[in-house]
Amino acid sequence: MSESKNFWVYIETEHGKAKNASYELITAAKPLAEKRGGTVVAVVVGAGVEAAAKDAICYGADSAILVDAPIFDCYSTDAQTKALAALAEKYGPEALLLAGTNNGKDLAPRLAGRLKTGLASDCIAAAIDEDSGSVAWTRPTMGGNLMAVAVCPVDRPQMATVRPGAFKRGAYDEGRAGEIVKEDVPVSQEDVRVTLKDRVSEVAEAVNLEEAEIIVSGGRGVGSAENFRIIEELAAELGATVGCSRAVVDAGWLPHAHQVGQSGKSVAPRIYFAIGISGAVQHLAGISGSDTIIAVNKDEDAPIFEVADYGIVGNLNEVVPALTAAFKARKA
Amino acid sequence: MNICVCVKQVPDTGEIKVDAAARKLVMDGVPSIVNPFDTYAQEAGVLLKEKLGGKLVVIAMGPEEAKNAIKTCLAVGADEGYLVLDPCYAESDAMENGRVLAKAIQTVEEKEGLKFDLILCGNQSADSGTAQVGGAIAECLGLPQVTCALDVTEANGELLVKREYDEGYDVLSPTLPAVVTVAKLPTEPRYPTIKSKMAAKKKAIPVLTLADLPNLDAPDSSTKVLETYVPVREKNGVTLKGMETADAVNELVRLLDEAKLV
Amino acid sequence: MYNQLTPEIIAQIKAVSNNVFEGADINPDYAKDEMPIYGTHMPDLAVQPRSTEEVAAVVKICYDNNIPVTPRGAGTGLAGGAVPLCGGVLIDLTKMNKIKSYDLENFVVEIEAGVLLNDLAEDCLTHGMLYPPDPGEKFACVGGNVSTNAGGMRAVKYGATRDYVRAMTVVLPTGEITHLGATVSKTSSGYSLLNLMIGSEGTLGIITELTLKIIPAPKHVVSLVVPFEDLHTALSAVPKVKMAQMNPQAIEFMEREIVLSSERYIGRSVFPQKLEGQDIGAYLLITLDGNTEDEVDALVEQAAELLVEAGAMDVLVADTPAKIKDAWAARSSFLEAIMEETKLLDECDVVVPVNQIADYLEFANKTGAECGLVIKSFGHAGDGNLHIYQCSNDLEEEEFKARVDKFFDIIYQRATESGGLVSGEHGIGSGKVKYLIQSVGETNMALMEGIKRVFDPKMILNPGKVCYRL
Repeated sequence: MSESKNFWVYIETEHGKAKNASYELITAAKPLAEKRGGTVVAVVVGAGVEAAAKDAICYGADSAILVDAPIFDCYSTDAQTKALAALAEKYGPEALLLAGTNNGKDLAPRLAGRLKTGLASDCIAAAIDEDSGSVAWTRPTMGGNLMAVAVCPVDRPQMATVRPGAFKRGAYDEGRAGEIVKEDVPVSQEDVRVTLKDRVSEVAEAVNLEEAEIIVSGGRGVGSAENFRIIEELAAELGATVGCSRAVVDAGWLPHAHQVGQSGKSVAPRIYFAIGISGAVQHLAGISGSDTIIAVNKDEDAPIFEVADYGIVGNLNEVVPALTAAFKARKA
Repeated sequence: MNICVCVKQVPDTGEIKVDAAARKLVMDGVPSIVNPFDTYAQEAGVLLKEKLGGKLVVIAMGPEEAKNAIKTCLAVGADEGYLVLDPCYAESDAMENGRVLAKAIQTVEEKEGLKFDLILCGNQSADSGTAQVGGAIAECLGLPQVTCALDVTEANGELLVKREYDEGYDVLSPTLPAVVTVAKLPTEPRYPTIKSKMAAKKKAIPVLTLADLPNLDAPDSSTKVLETYVPVREKNGVTLKGMETADAVNELVRLLDEAKLV
Repeated sequence: MYNQLTPEIIAQIKAVSNNVFEGADINPDYAKDEMPIYGTHMPDLAVQPRSTEEVAAVVKICYDNNIPVTPRGAGTGLAGGAVPLCGGVLIDLTKMNKIKSYDLENFVVEIEAGVLLNDLAEDCLTHGMLYPPDPGEKFACVGGNVSTNAGGMRAVKYGATRDYVRAMTVVLPTGEITHLGATVSKTSSGYSLLNLMIGSEGTLGIITELTLKIIPAPKHVVSLVVPFEDLHTALSAVPKVKMAQMNPQAIEFMEREIVLSSERYIGRSVFPQKLEGQDIGAYLLITLDGNTEDEVDALVEQAAELLVEAGAMDVLVADTPAKIKDAWAARSSFLEAIMEETKLLDECDVVVPVNQIADYLEFANKTGAECGLVIKSFGHAGDGNLHIYQCSNDLEEEEFKARVDKFFDIIYQRATESGGLVSGEHGIGSGKVKYLIQSVGETNMALMEGIKRVFDPKMILNPGKVCYRL
């Protein structure tokens, strides 16, 4: 195994298309690599993913390793683990970062197990620990009430999943050049032990909370499934994605795909509207990566106001339609 | 179908209060519960067992008090429960816990004289929330895995796992035996009945220590925690209160404009 | 008989209050409570005071000018009590919502009357204390709870709101401020004006501040979900549980139908509907508490044995915080669940002796069928307080009202004959006056009206409610 000080970022793709959250990893890895005298290497294992590799370089990666084969078209734990393990053994990277998406969280422990190394989950910050030269990963724990800083001092690569949105994707530099190394790894259909039987589209539009610029989320305070209309109208006006708290999913008002918080999605939009959401720690844990939080709640003591940048204490049934109207008027 | 469910006893994180002044967590009076994600795994296991027959065994790793978590599971359909207890693992990281549990699963298979067709875990724990243990177990045992399940059912001899993706859900079928981690179910976990609860209370829970788990290396976690701290939450945002709706909304839009946010 | 508001009077009111709403600025919700079927009426002016003194100043102006005044909390009443039937000034107390102080040596908490029950209950728990009254509607104001002597689920063991009011500050219809009661736990000190105020539905004075008794929260709580094949068997088990001295916090009953409604409303299944292939027809939901786990476990075992003997199909145990919360949240959703599915709705809140609930409900269901009404019911089996709802999605309103009228005449009479009363906890308001007269008689009505005249010589406060007929 050759040793390197290179920081790998795993570019997750589906049908050749990369997740934005993967490009955010480049931003996270860059200062770490610079400090350790290494480079940032994007690793893409997919089908028809040459563009994704190029994009990774344009977003700031120094080079890319590309495995391009039809078998990687849809995500498979087995196929991805085998491919990445083979690459890691060949190159011996210093660290490997994955986006903390459903697939990233699926793959990371499997791969860490295979590589017999340590893994920090759902990290929101990373820095080089001066004493050990290893990465000090910061991650929320105890339902977001506590932050833990962990290192992986001996085993390599140092692995982490990074909360989507915790870092901002870099600017796209079209002229940026970098080497793309194509690799072949022997993965076959026999390696894949999980079959995709069916794929069901459940929501009219894709709910992509993790990559949303603006999220308008409603909580129990919205009152009913029917009343979510006012949330949807505000979201439509702002081109935003609709989110919700756990209480809303439990009440059957929206499907689980909309849920933000510990048992749903961790999000990091530019603006997060929390409407009728009191702000249980589990919810706050999922929105801490938001740039700006705007809260509307009738209870001025609701914990959501402690984390909100802007808040209105008032009746959401009046405030939300008024907001929608105000944004509409501004556009006109 | 023989099923193993791995559960963890956790503090009810919703009940944890933060002492902002002292910057520490107030854990006094916080009840211990079965990790909520694990209760779905347990319920999924019981539903499968009811349909297909077989044995359902619960394994927990933790201190003596974690027997309560096992008893809770025994009261809602688990047949047997084992506690993996060895103080030397108290500080282990999640990957290491997965390795220990994988060994424990093999040991329990021997003790019970059966092979598990399915190993179920919660998708993550409510306290540490790493979502690593299921994958770590699967890798150690060399089994296929499906994580973050929203439903686990069986049809025509196949295991069907519903798993969320951005636009809806996938139905995935792993070869068996397999590891599946569960995030939610369409139905809430059942209530224990008085009889099952009393029976669970009386049932003996065997304890497995390091000595019972053959060929397991001494604890050697890859990751070490350097420090923990309570994050400061106060943001000193602008809260508009006691205003007419129209005024508050106009002021908010003005502030957002000023900050060039919309 | 009352005067109209004039610009001069309004100017006077504005001089003593900065929180006055006129014309289109008046919240349209002020015209109704949760039972609009008893009639709606907008006030001519609304005030949202922030202090007792502000309330007093506004009321004094109304008294001097003979303007009707209607106090209001969160508007969650079910008898039309907060509806300003004669217009005039509405005083909305929801902004007087401060929890002022705890005295944990004397076990009391001082609050303003507009504090929401939910906020008080949660705040008490953070002090390790319990405010026992537990009406289903958690977003009602405590002042409103006191005004109707609200009971709720835990009344079986802990009693109704009345048992927790130690003292209060009241603005009388003349605009005078008076203090009733004291922090102490015993009194033999003249007529209990405090108890006259409790349950007076805003007809004798406006309660602005309260001193409430609280108790140390029990350390261990377990709820039992007890399925039965039918309602009659379930209700027949209740007296047996009560006689066994297990002192349950709560014994609620619910029919299959209502559980199904609630399931549709909250979108998930909380209570099982079948047990070993057999349909469940009715449930009891019982909460037991105690100071040690062993104590509660022993109670649970004892209760379970007794319930199975009394015909329970099984006894399910909610022994985790999440399960207990789920079960009671589902129970608390019943009224909203019915409202969601029903166009026309009326309800009655009779209370009958515990050993007669089963027969009484059977009678009510039979009468409902004869009157051509859909009946859904649930309620507090432990204290005989039944919530019986009449529902229709296809009748015209007039026809519905006529049928309900006929239904009420029959079942209220039966309640009185059984030794029961018209209302257990929702109050009389304007909707139940007729049945109160039938139940207590003209002599008692005259006493009530006489009392009312002493407090309110000009009869300006909340006219048309309880005993003062328009």
